[in-house]
Amino acid sequence: MSDAVSLAGVASAIGILTGLGVGFGALLGAVSERFKGEAHPLVDQIDALLPQTQCGQCGYPGCRPYAEAINEGDALNKCPPGGDATIQALADLLGREAEPLDGEAPEQDRVAFIREAECIGCTKCIQACPVDAIIGAAKQMHTVIEDECTGCDLCVDPCPVDCIDMLPRSAPLTHWQPVAPLAPGVIASDRHPAGGN
Amino acid sequence: MMPLFASRGGIYPPERKSRSNQVPLQQAPLPARVILPLRQHSGRPGVACVTPGEYVKTGTRIAKRDGLISADVHASISGTVTQVSAHAIQIEGDGLDTRHTLTPLDWRETDALTLLARLDESGVVGLGGAGFPAQFKARVIERHAIDTLIINATECEPYITADDIILRHYPGEILEGAQMMASLCGASQIMIGIEDNKPEAIAALKQVIAQSRPARVTLSVIPTRYPSGSEKLLIKTLLNRTVPSQGLPADVGVLCHNPGTLLAALQAVKSGQPLVERVMTLTGEAITRPGNYWVRLGTSIDELLAHVGLERARLSKVVQGGPMMGNTLDTLNAPVTKLTNCLIAADQAELPPAPPASPCIRCGACESVCPVQLLPQQLHWYAHAREDDKLEQHHLFDCIECGACSYVCPSHIPLVNDYRNAKDRLRHQQIEAAKAEHAKHRFEFRQARLAREEAEKQARRHARLAQGKSSSGSSAPTTAPQADLRSLRIAQTAAKAAVRKAEKVLAREAQQSPDESHDDLEMQLATARENLKAADLKLAQARQSAQASEESQ
Repeated sequence: MSDAVSLAGVASAIGILTGLGVGFGALLGAVSERFKGEAHPLVDQIDALLPQTQCGQCGYPGCRPYAEAINEGDALNKCPPGGDATIQALADLLGREAEPLDGEAPEQDRVAFIREAECIGCTKCIQACPVDAIIGAAKQMHTVIEDECTGCDLCVDPCPVDCIDMLPRSAPLTHWQPVAPLAPGVIASDRHPAGGN
Repeated sequence: MMPLFASRGGIYPPERKSRSNQVPLQQAPLPARVILPLRQHSGRPGVACVTPGEYVKTGTRIAKRDGLISADVHASISGTVTQVSAHAIQIEGDGLDTRHTLTPLDWRETDALTLLARLDESGVVGLGGAGFPAQFKARVIERHAIDTLIINATECEPYITADDIILRHYPGEILEGAQMMASLCGASQIMIGIEDNKPEAIAALKQVIAQSRPARVTLSVIPTRYPSGSEKLLIKTLLNRTVPSQGLPADVGVLCHNPGTLLAALQAVKSGQPLVERVMTLTGEAITRPGNYWVRLGTSIDELLAHVGLERARLSKVVQGGPMMGNTLDTLNAPVTKLTNCLIAADQAELPPAPPASPCIRCGACESVCPVQLLPQQLHWYAHAREDDKLEQHHLFDCIECGACSYVCPSHIPLVNDYRNAKDRLRHQQIEAAKAEHAKHRFEFRQARLAREEAEKQARRHARLAQGKSSSGSSAPTTAPQADLRSLRIAQTAAKAAVRKAEKVLAREAQQSPDESHDDLEMQLATARENLKAADLKLAQARQSAQASEESQ
């Protein structure tokens, strides 16, 4: 008797639990389908951290391809325009070790400038520019739109008459940055007293 | 008298106003040469519209505004333009001060559009310090309903008495200017917030309040405490309304104006005089004749201080603005701008250099004086550690940079400097991020265009091949790669969806903020369209080749 009762009890318990499992599973599935968030695949997140100069110094044709390569395990340290800050951000995102930069970080933000008198209008630089920042036509003078130029210097090599220079970017006054304050950690008494003797 | 609502924090620094407010308002001499910067206001710099050698009268427009948040600049003396650079225009005066005035208008009889146009062409900007273009501020009514106009006459910073003095001299005109601006923005009441340390100005205002029409004017005398004049705090004190974080007073139906701005606006309308001069306080122990002066914009600070008897031997530093929020000038070879409300020529004892900073002892003094209830100490740590997300979490951008925390800090830490630098750094990062995003979109557009061109080329080649085939009869079909029709169809549907999404986003943004440019979104839409075209072409081509191979079989 007691055996039969316990058998029925076990069977009903298993039945109820299975039912609950299936029910909640279906509910979760439906909810996750219904309230699906905006997908942020890892490649997009990596791409967002890259400086988007599209310079190709990493060996890939643009920032997005490099982001895809990083996702597949390529090294983090191939982006000179991004510098150490980008490497650190990528390392934080991917939980990998930050490595020293492979190559030299540019000291200054630069922009391409075409010496217009020497330009022969070959359109080679226009074809090389990854962000369409050079305007001109065949046998017409070309010029760089400074605001659109990312300073990638991909236009410099193709130029047959070497009339493209990389010049420091002229920053508007509104983007002026104050000179960095004295590094924290200097002991107060070590500083030269202001206005002192 | 209206009830006042308590706000927290604040400090009581020595006022030192008596040196400059005992003397009546005077006229500074006409400068022989002026240098007028193209950016004397918030927003974008003006664009010069004169050339060297041109003769200009006082009040001739020399730079036009560029964009919505920008302002015109006018010649402040008559003479010849000698130099136009990217940042400033220099005029050599003829000493005659020949005036160019616009037709005087009666604001009660004139429609709002004409008045706005007049404020625009007179280059009136907020003279209290931020320099927000007055015509743009008046047009806030297009987006917000305004019920109250506040005249911010608190002038809570030590030393400065320019507003105090003009309120004593021109109370009627300032109220009339306020009535004009109130009618422009549809405010039904005007409130004057003034600190109780200006009894003469309060008396002068009381005499004219009763006759002021049509909006009702109330005078609220508030206790003297720095920084009671901060816009958001004043609104809280007078109306008990809280301006949201990163919001504007217009969000709670209020506009604040400085008395000087109202006077300039009235002069621009009533007498047709563009903004070419302003009242400024010249004070400090190193000056022998301190006081308030009408000064032409563009006057050299060096010449101005020499005129009021600067004792160079005693001078330790010149501060532009108040001692709390102002900047120490590195050079006196600079012009007066629309925003220069005060110059303090201080000697060593008056504004001694700050002692070297010691480490923070976590006393919490800064926290109790912060008028906007931030945690200055936490911000200090995070600013030094460059923890940018924490800084934003602790509302760094709500800091009004009043300097109360630095003033009370027993370790003499220049806290506000840290915050300013951190804010600058964060703004710079935002600009860089926006630029990177823009470059990315341009790159994507280029990729899409190249893909579309490639697809078109393929389609043309295909068409040519097909034509050649039909004309030459039934030569064997070239083994066209059987493209996967299904995946191409999916790609085309996705491209269509992307175009629709981009269109929707652009339409929504264009509706929400019609004044701004949406170049970036338009480019994203163009990219999606290029992608769609390429997908269409590829699909059509694949279908054709599929058909052709079926026919041949």
